[in-house]
Amino acid sequence: MGVLAWTMMGLALWHFSIFLPDRFWGGIVGAFVAALLGAIAFGFLVNGLSIPGRGATHLLTALDAIPGALIGMALCYLEGARRENASAAKPAL
Amino acid sequence: MSARVRNLAILGVVALLLVAAGVGIATQKTILGLDLKGGVELVYQGRPTAAQPVVTQDALDRAVEIMRQRVDQLGALNPDIQRSGRAQLAVALPGVSDLQRAIRLVGTPAQLVFYDWETSVLGPDNKPVIDGINADDPTADAISQGGGFRQTGISLYAAVKQAAKRPASKPGVRLGPQYWAFAPKSHSFLAGPADTREELRGLRGYRAGAQVLVIQPGTVVLQAVTGKGENPIAGNRPQDAQWYVLKDQPRLLGKDVKDPKQDFDGGTGGTGNPDVTFKFTGTGRREFQDVTRAIAQRGQNIVSQAYPKGVNQNFAIALDNTLISVASIDRNQYPDGIDGANGAQISGSFTIQEAQDLAQLIKLGALPINLKLISTSNVSATLGKQALNQGLVAGGAGFLVVVLFLLLFYRVLGLIAALALGVYAVYFFALIKLIPITLTLPGIAGLILTIGVAADANIVIFERVKEEARAGKSVPAAIAAGYKKGLTAIIDANVVTIMTAFILFILATSEVKGFAFTLGIGTIVSLFTAVMATQAILGTMGRSRLISRPSALGAKGGGRRITFDFMGASRWFFSFSGVILLVGALAIGGRGLHFGIDFESGTRLQAALTKPADENSIRSLLSPLGYSDAKIQKFSNKQFGSNAFQITAKIAPEKVTRVRDALASRFGISSNARFQAQSVGPTFGQTVANSAVVAIIASLIVISLYIALRFEWKYAVPVLIALMHDLLITAGVYSLTGREVTTSTVAALLTILGYSLYDTIIVFDRVRENVPRMPRAAFSQIVNRSMSEVLTRSLATSFCTLLPILALLLFGGTTLKDFAFALLVGVASGAYSSIFIASPVLTHWKERESVYVARRHRIEAEHGTVPAYPTGRAGETVDLDSARPVSRRGRLTTPQEETLSRGEFESLKRDLVLDDEPPKPRPARPAPRRRATAVAEPPPEAAEPRPEGNGDGHAPDEAENDGMVARPPKPKKPRNRRHGRNR
Repeated sequence: MGVLAWTMMGLALWHFSIFLPDRFWGGIVGAFVAALLGAIAFGFLVNGLSIPGRGATHLLTALDAIPGALIGMALCYLEGARRENASAAKPAL
Repeated sequence: MSARVRNLAILGVVALLLVAAGVGIATQKTILGLDLKGGVELVYQGRPTAAQPVVTQDALDRAVEIMRQRVDQLGALNPDIQRSGRAQLAVALPGVSDLQRAIRLVGTPAQLVFYDWETSVLGPDNKPVIDGINADDPTADAISQGGGFRQTGISLYAAVKQAAKRPASKPGVRLGPQYWAFAPKSHSFLAGPADTREELRGLRGYRAGAQVLVIQPGTVVLQAVTGKGENPIAGNRPQDAQWYVLKDQPRLLGKDVKDPKQDFDGGTGGTGNPDVTFKFTGTGRREFQDVTRAIAQRGQNIVSQAYPKGVNQNFAIALDNTLISVASIDRNQYPDGIDGANGAQISGSFTIQEAQDLAQLIKLGALPINLKLISTSNVSATLGKQALNQGLVAGGAGFLVVVLFLLLFYRVLGLIAALALGVYAVYFFALIKLIPITLTLPGIAGLILTIGVAADANIVIFERVKEEARAGKSVPAAIAAGYKKGLTAIIDANVVTIMTAFILFILATSEVKGFAFTLGIGTIVSLFTAVMATQAILGTMGRSRLISRPSALGAKGGGRRITFDFMGASRWFFSFSGVILLVGALAIGGRGLHFGIDFESGTRLQAALTKPADENSIRSLLSPLGYSDAKIQKFSNKQFGSNAFQITAKIAPEKVTRVRDALASRFGISSNARFQAQSVGPTFGQTVANSAVVAIIASLIVISLYIALRFEWKYAVPVLIALMHDLLITAGVYSLTGREVTTSTVAALLTILGYSLYDTIIVFDRVRENVPRMPRAAFSQIVNRSMSEVLTRSLATSFCTLLPILALLLFGGTTLKDFAFALLVGVASGAYSSIFIASPVLTHWKERESVYVARRHRIEAEHGTVPAYPTGRAGETVDLDSARPVSRRGRLTTPQEETLSRGEFESLKRDLVLDDEPPKPRPARPAPRRRATAVAEPPPEAAEPRPEGNGDGHAPDEAENDGMVARPPKPKKPRNRRHGRNR
């Protein structure tokens, strides 16, 4: 149940990435993967490397995913921007 | 074969099949499942035994065969035993009402075991009692001569604890260790036996901190011979019985006996009670003589203070961990053992019915594997009939509303579609009878859903026909083009539905299998009726006055062109979905999902009571039975009336009858038929959940592969994201509304996987079609154009599917409503996500490709911004059909015999004369804008940013257009514009 809550939260937050310029590494799909992986990985970490079961899932479990999703998307964005800048800096042949 | 002949041939086949279907319907019986007919369903999980260490398919087959013969004893009408999942067997017994007897007969292992009593049974010191007898141990003497009755037995805890002290040794009957759980202080029985520690934790009664005892292979605990009135086959309350610990060293097994039959203990000294007599096989006879000889001689040789002249020793018979009889072998009468030629008898405190059942079980032989009962369901015939009526009403209502919608929206075409739907219904009903398909409530849900699927196929084609007619084609030409162009999308969408249904059928539990089967078969049949039959009808009447004008098709006027900027507004739609998912995630975290007993395990009873009752009075009745924590809810519906109660508790399947009897005696149960029970073990819920996860993953993989193959791999990713969106939104809605999640919900979720793709495929199919046709447009413009073209049809198909689902929701029973609610949310979400999630994701992703970056830069350079729809040169489209090089030989008056019959050619000529204006001389200005601009005025390539990564500087999908620029086609005669695309 914990994974379901994290996944939903990651997916929910990903929807708002559309307001940002499309500089994500891998584009909107890269942002999707980053949000989901970030949400699940962070939730897993803050819950002591365990997945809360049905009895242990509560409101905070869902909120656990927010930092992870944001971090994931931020990293994806930064990597995308870095690659874009590196590509733009290459001299045209 | 000309088109007319082909159409007539198809109509002939349709008519013939209709006649055959009518005959089939009239002559064959409909097989109803037990949810519609009433009866008992038992689901078993196969477990290995010492003789069968691995549950193989062969072992399951043999078990099914034995169970089938046992089922015949119950007098079930059309019993059905199916495998489901891994090593599971679902036994449906329509018409059977005695749940307890069904459990006793069907899944009992019936492992008959013969032990040399004194060398096998163990004393408190864990040594065989024969050692104690020789050492004058009075306890050993008592056990030896106690006849296996409860007086000399010990408590269950003492027996298990004693047995747990013995090391593992060579297994006899039981293969692996056996786990039991007891209360740590009181030592009262909690749960067991289980094959694994995990399984033990999942059993009802187990609680954290329980004392777990493990009996290693080579030792068994057997329930003492039971007294009159107790069930000799299965111990209902193990803690109430007395037990013995034995070394698991059987001397004979059930396979060594033959011809068992119920008899009476007659003759001199006989009690006259019912018993079971049997004979031995050749091997059994020899072994029986050997073992009784050894027992007799041992009795003669015992010399102790208590028995200076020896003492008779015993031979024990056990059936499935219960001692049936411990018989004494007279050492003086049979010093050389008993010849098994005359067989033997099993005496016990049997009723005639019990003795008959036992004889039958022995006769049919032991099951090759152990079967663990993991789920039971008991539906009364009255309730089944009512459920059937509700299903039929829901189906009829769904059919009617779909027909009405088609008539209102498509007029004459709608009438033909309605006719095809009628044909479909007849075919499908005939197939149900002829195959035969056992009709269940989930099956009816699948059937009703396929009505929507069948109508969707017509909608996709009719919208295309209307589009072609509005573009200026004659009605026959529009019909031909509509079918030709719409077929791809229909096949793609239906193949995905069929694949999902197939996966569901392979992996799902038996209840869901019926749904998957009807959905799959229905989709295939609907392809025939909705596409081939309607095409033949329309093709035949294509020149009739009935559909001579576009208005008859509902295609009057130019149609309303939608100019909404879908891609521009996508961020708001994304935000909308994001907010819904955010709320859903919080709801999942805060409220969780309300899982039904399918996942929680336990028993749910529903009973219509005749006397007034309330929750407290029912609880006071249940508390003494041990169910004080039962969840009791009053409810009312058409089936049960207004004084009905639902009780959910951890009631063992074999205790259901006891609870029913208690309810009936205190409050009365309406007509004794308005009672329904469903028991689910923890293993079953886990199996359902696991199979659902596997089915979802398998479906996603198959869908992705199909989309990647049919479209492009980049099209598959937005599809997966949209599917995930649909599933999670449905989960969120379930959490918010607190609706119960059942196996029906899981089936509906899996159906959503297949069905929500329908709209996505329609949109993507048009995008795929428009990409080469719009070689200068930005991808967002292509998608906007595609969306504007297919939005009506996408909305119409979703609406048409929602109509029968709504009928299910309004008129169906509880099970159908479960399906309908999940489908309603999923299909609505699927329609939304196709347009507002999948397409924008595809757009954003494709726009990153160099070719579309270049186009976007060029358009921005021309306009300062990228308009929502292509304008100016970006809006130029290529008529791909006419762009392809066509060899035009011969003259107009000479038909090509190999492709066109003379009749068709004449018909075509008539069509040209009647429908078209006479050809005008070629205009002096550049030829028609759509194709010729590029020819007459090649684009200034140097001024445009060139796409990257292509050796010749051309984008891969621009090849066709570039080909036109580099190699203009030869001047052709002006074509009549009604035979080309006109946008």
